[in-house]
Amino acid sequence: MAGRVPIGDYGMIGDTRSAALVAPDGSIDWWCVPRFDDPPLFGRMVGGDEAGWFTVGPGEEAAVTRRAYRPDTVTLATTWTVDGGELELADGLVAEVEGRFLPATVLVRRLTARGRAVRARLHLAPRFGYDRRPARRITRRAGALVCERGDLAIAVISDGPTVDADRTVDFDVQPGEPVTIVLTAAERRPLILVPPAVGAAELARDETGWRAWAADIDVTSRRDAVVRSLLTLQLLTFSPSGAPVAAPTTSLPELIGGARNWDYRYAWPRDASLGIAAFMAAGKPREARAFLAWLLHASRLSRPRLPVLFTLDGRPGPPEEELAGWPGYADSRPVRIGNGAAQQHQLDGYGWVVDAAWLLTDAGHRLYGETWRVVAAFADHVAATWTEPDAGIWEQRGKPTHHVHSKLMAWLALDRALRIAAARGDRRRRRQQRWIIARDAVAADVRARGFDPAQDAYTATYGSAELDAAVLVPVLEFEPANSARVVGTVDAIRRGLSAGGPLLYRYQPGTDGLAGAEGAFLPCSFWLVQALARTGGRAEAEALLDELLTLGGPLSLYGEEIDPATGAHVGNYPQALTHAALVQAALSLELATTRPGPEVTLPR
Amino acid sequence: VDWGGWAVFGLVATTGLTAVMMAAQLAGRTRLDLPLMLGTMTTEDPDRARVAGFGIHLAIGQVFALFYAAAFAALDRSGWWLGAIFGLAHAAIALTVLVPLLQGVHPRMATERAGPDSTAVLEPPGLFALNYGTATPLVAVAAHVAYGAVLGVFLASS
Repeated sequence: MAGRVPIGDYGMIGDTRSAALVAPDGSIDWWCVPRFDDPPLFGRMVGGDEAGWFTVGPGEEAAVTRRAYRPDTVTLATTWTVDGGELELADGLVAEVEGRFLPATVLVRRLTARGRAVRARLHLAPRFGYDRRPARRITRRAGALVCERGDLAIAVISDGPTVDADRTVDFDVQPGEPVTIVLTAAERRPLILVPPAVGAAELARDETGWRAWAADIDVTSRRDAVVRSLLTLQLLTFSPSGAPVAAPTTSLPELIGGARNWDYRYAWPRDASLGIAAFMAAGKPREARAFLAWLLHASRLSRPRLPVLFTLDGRPGPPEEELAGWPGYADSRPVRIGNGAAQQHQLDGYGWVVDAAWLLTDAGHRLYGETWRVVAAFADHVAATWTEPDAGIWEQRGKPTHHVHSKLMAWLALDRALRIAAARGDRRRRRQQRWIIARDAVAADVRARGFDPAQDAYTATYGSAELDAAVLVPVLEFEPANSARVVGTVDAIRRGLSAGGPLLYRYQPGTDGLAGAEGAFLPCSFWLVQALARTGGRAEAEALLDELLTLGGPLSLYGEEIDPATGAHVGNYPQALTHAALVQAALSLELATTRPGPEVTLPR
Repeated sequence: VDWGGWAVFGLVATTGLTAVMMAAQLAGRTRLDLPLMLGTMTTEDPDRARVAGFGIHLAIGQVFALFYAAAFAALDRSGWWLGAIFGLAHAAIALTVLVPLLQGVHPRMATERAGPDSTAVLEPPGLFALNYGTATPLVAVAAHVAYGAVLGVFLASS
């Protein structure tokens, strides 16, 4: 049944090509195979039981006593207590298969009993395609159950029970004799059957790799939350192309029963830019550079225009469609695939990207000549188009308007391009002169039309009194952090957009033209932490962050939003933007005041 | 075999093929950048890679031109249309065999199986190199047909 488990109770396992969501009862209720953007093999989280699932768990009365990732890895361990013993399920997908005789998709589920033999239960219900069909052909080959339909085939091998499709199997797990079930998948390729012992060994090898990756993360306080967020960001990076996936799910509702259900299995340049900032701050420049490389590659066909989103291969986002007959998570319909925001004009995107390039430059990583040409072309484009209205960061689907956040990000794009030019010793003075003129014009325009003296705050759009929490990010760069305008804006947003406790709405509820409400937007709360830290409210920022870190549940995973009324996670899950904002917030408290960049003044 | 024609017009045809591909890439029709793709086997810097890749591509083009020259000699005929037909077959082989095989030897091209340790700077080309843009197969065909036609016109058949 769709919506049977709270969104925030799911754990995520992944191999950087796909990700599965595992419920506390051991059921994989969402897994698109073999890539994030493929149809789900197990999709009952939003598709109902007809969309399939894969449960491995206790077959007798049991209670979950512990769910945690193995330290600094992405292997999820769930422990159930039974009368006189316990049963542990370790779940993981093998990430590193290149150069080895392994299929691209290897799911390992390993049951271990302690204290006494424990009755376990397995149910495998694979479905194929968005029409949720069962396998067309089911066979047994070399001890494996093979299910095929179209160009996708899966094989399941177990060293315990004999697995069948769509049949519940009960079996005993003896202490000291773990049972391993391995599911491999192949699309348009021969299946490779992986014996359970090999699968378990590969998962252990992968864990060693993840621990080594996490070992050099440069952070001291709140390390667990930061490392988990960075591991989550890494799992949501599609390794074959480097594309950062916004979330592994589609249509988890922004409020239960609502219609704000979108497909996030695509890559947004904004997320890549935030990822660059997060990885740079955590001492992971290789990952940061990889995001910039992806951005440059993906945007090649549209330059100097920067599309809102891309597929994992860097193609334009597909048109949006609704899946007929899909019940949606807790009856939240429609369930959508594709994303209509792909066609929008969002001016802010350029600011995120150019700022990310500046972060790399500022940290001493010289941009390649080609990279700089692209970044400069983005700045040229901003200088030429900043006066046009846009859809804004929140991708509102009404008429384009003049968003203050977008204008501030346009200012940021021009300012950062000038800083990079200065750092590189770029001598094209006429071009820089154009940027300076445009930057100063944006600044004058925003100060004149985007500031509400009555609230002492920058607003959401020109001429309105509404507020926008996204303004928290660029306003800190636009004005001195201790200026009255910044302090006033931070205060106004805290008061005007508060959703109670540490939570903020991204904008005033009910102003986006869609029916119904939505939850509090988590990245905004982390941006508030950064804003407070920069405006002198360090103690407040520390307290706010600590409160936010309690909202991530036992696995420290965050979705897009939280329902202020219930505290439940809503929206696609887990969300890269939220985790990147968490890392930046935590590290902003660790770092001293940010070093200002060079002031750029050229003779007119 | 027309050795003199091969030496001169192999270079001319390969330069023409590269020019067509680069023009299409700069016009935003495809992300397939052959000099970049080949040159990143030697360096990660895109600008340096293009220079190295252009040299590598000229050498590869010269090797392929030898096959064209041998084929014209074997058939005892040549001409732009015959060269264009060879070019069509050449493009088909390039898209379905050569580019996919490149993943196996290219140190900086990812495969569909890449994991988090991957340090690749080029994504997998995918079927018919469509990951580099939907017009990529058409551009590749046009460039190779031009290559074959040039060789067909200028290489003597005997």
